[in-house]
Amino acid sequence: MELRPALALDSVIKAMTDVVLPAVDPHNKLAQEQARLVIGVLGLMAKRLPLLYRFERDELSRVLILAAHLDGQAARLPAVQDAAQPLRTAVASAQDVLDRARAEPAELEAANFELRTHISALVSALYTHADEATRKSLGATVTAHAKEQLLRERAWHVSQGWESDAASLPSIESLLP
Amino acid sequence: MGKRCGLAAEHRVSAAVSRVDKNHPSEEWIATLRQRLPCEAELDRILTRKLRRRAGPPFASVRLETLVAGVDALLRSELGDDFTISAASWLSGGASKLQMAFTLQWHRPRLGPTTSRMVLRMEPSESITETSRLREYQIIKACAGVVPLPEVHWVDADGSFLPYPAIIYGFVEGTPKPSASSSGVSGVGTFFPPAMRGALGAQFAEQLGRIHAFDWRASQLSAFDKPRPGFDAVTWDLNHWERVWEEDVNEDVPLIRLAFAWLRANMPPVDHVSVVHGDYRTGNFLFTEHDQRITAWLDWEMAYLGDRHGDLAWAVKSLLGGMAEDGKTFLVGGLMPRQEFFAAYERASGLPVIPKVLDYYDIFGTLKIVAICIASGYRAARNGKTHQDVLVAWLTGISYSLLEDLRVKLEAVL
Repeated sequence: MELRPALALDSVIKAMTDVVLPAVDPHNKLAQEQARLVIGVLGLMAKRLPLLYRFERDELSRVLILAAHLDGQAARLPAVQDAAQPLRTAVASAQDVLDRARAEPAELEAANFELRTHISALVSALYTHADEATRKSLGATVTAHAKEQLLRERAWHVSQGWESDAASLPSIESLLP
Repeated sequence: MGKRCGLAAEHRVSAAVSRVDKNHPSEEWIATLRQRLPCEAELDRILTRKLRRRAGPPFASVRLETLVAGVDALLRSELGDDFTISAASWLSGGASKLQMAFTLQWHRPRLGPTTSRMVLRMEPSESITETSRLREYQIIKACAGVVPLPEVHWVDADGSFLPYPAIIYGFVEGTPKPSASSSGVSGVGTFFPPAMRGALGAQFAEQLGRIHAFDWRASQLSAFDKPRPGFDAVTWDLNHWERVWEEDVNEDVPLIRLAFAWLRANMPPVDHVSVVHGDYRTGNFLFTEHDQRITAWLDWEMAYLGDRHGDLAWAVKSLLGGMAEDGKTFLVGGLMPRQEFFAAYERASGLPVIPKVLDYYDIFGTLKIVAICIASGYRAARNGKTHQDVLVAWLTGISYSLLEDLRVKLEAVL
C-alpha cells in the first residue's frame, strides 16, 4: 500500500504551494490567509507524523509515572480512595497498552518491505528453476496470498472510486484484526 | 520544500534491510541493471538519464514566460529571427507531461508567411512514463499519412533550450470526449452517445489496422532498435518494463514477480513486426463532433516496434471501455462490441487477431499499467519530480483493482 500519509501529505502540500496558492485571488485576503494556513498545518503534520507514535508512547510512560506518584500520596488518605481506585484500574490498563506498544510503525513498514523484497526475489528464482508441478504450486501460493492482501488494499482505497462493484467489497474495518 | 517527510521511515528501512537506495542510485547499481536487463538503446539512454538525475532537485514550478523563452531559443536555432510567439496558455493533459499552446507567426518553408497554432509538450523532471521525445518525434513523422496526426515540427531531445526535453507540434482541432460527456482522469471512462459510436468506432478499429499494417522499414526511425520477427521485440519489451519495475518500485509485489516470470516463460513469437502505438485508447484521439471524424491520434510516447496484440489487448481493456445501455454488452473504448472491433480490425489490417497471443498481451498490458501507477508513480511523487505529484500519488490507488484483475488472469493461465 503506497498511498501512505507521508506521500499523500507531501504531494498535497506541493500542489497547494505550486499551483493552488498562486491562483488564489490576491485581493481575497481571507482566502489567501486560509490557503497559507492549510499549507502550514499540513507541513506541521507532515513533519511530525513520523514521530506521532513515539510521542504518544512517551506521553503515556510519563503519565504513568505521574499516576504512580499520586497513588503513593493517595494511599495515606482514605477520603480520596473513591478517586484513587478508578485511577489504579486505568493505570493497569494503560501499563498493558504500553507493554504491548513496542515496535514503531516505521519498523513494521520496514519488516514488510524486507519480507516482500526477499519473497519477490525467491518467487522469480523459483519460477525460473522449478519444474512444472512446482511452478503450479508456486502460482497457487502467490495468487492465494495476493487475493487476501488485495482485498484489503482495494477496501482501503475504495473511496477513490476505482472499483466497478464497490458495494461487494467488505469494509476495511471488518478485514483488519 | 525541504526534507520530505517520508525520509525518516525509509532511512529506517534502509538501515534494517540494506536495500538499494533508489532515491540516490549508485553508478554500480545502474550498471548492474543495464547489464541484466538490456533494452533498446534509446530507452536505455532515457532510463539511465532518469536514474542519474533522480538525486537532483525536485521539479520546480515552471512559468509560462520560461517556456516561451525556451521555445524562442529553440526556434531561433531552427528558423533564425523571423518569427513571433504570442497567446501562450496552459493546456490540460494527462498525468505525464506539461503542455502549452501558443501562436507562431513565421515564414514557413514553401508556404511563406504563416500563422500557426502550436503545442509544446514537455517532460517534468521525472515522469510516470519516462519516455523519449526523439522517439515520439520520429514515430509521428513516420506515421504521417497513415492515420490522422498532428504535424510535428521541432524537438528539443535533451532539454538544450527548454527546462526539460520537449516536442513542438501543430495544434489540431477536436475534442477527446463528447461535449456532453463525463470522463475520469486522462479520458478513462468516457461515455459516447449511441449516435456517435458507429462512425467513431469504425475509425477506431480501421485506423489501428492501418498503423499495424504500415511498412515502417523505410522510415527514419533511428531512435528505435529494429527487431526481427520472433522473440527480439517481446524480450526487449519485457526487459524494459522489468527494468522500470526494478528502478522505481518501493514496496515489491510478489504477484508482479510471478507475472514477469510467467511472461518470460511463455513469450509468443512476433509474426509481423508492427508500429505499436503503446497507448491506443479513447482519450488519446481527438475528433470533431459535427462530422464525427477522428482528427488526430495523440500520445505516441510509448510507441515501439513489436507485436500488434500489444495495442489490441490494451484497446479492449475493461478499464478503458464501458458497457452499453443493455448493461451486458462491453464496448471497446466505449464505442463498439469486442467481436465487431476485432472483425473490423482484421479487415483493415489483413492481420489475424490470435486469441492466445491476445491473452498474453492482456496480462503484459495490465502489468505495465500497474508498473506505471504503483512503481513509477510512487517514485516520481516521492521525490517531488512532477508538475502534479498529487494526481500521481492519487493514481497509485488504482493499482490494487488492476492487480486483482492481473491475479484473476494469471490464475487462468498458470
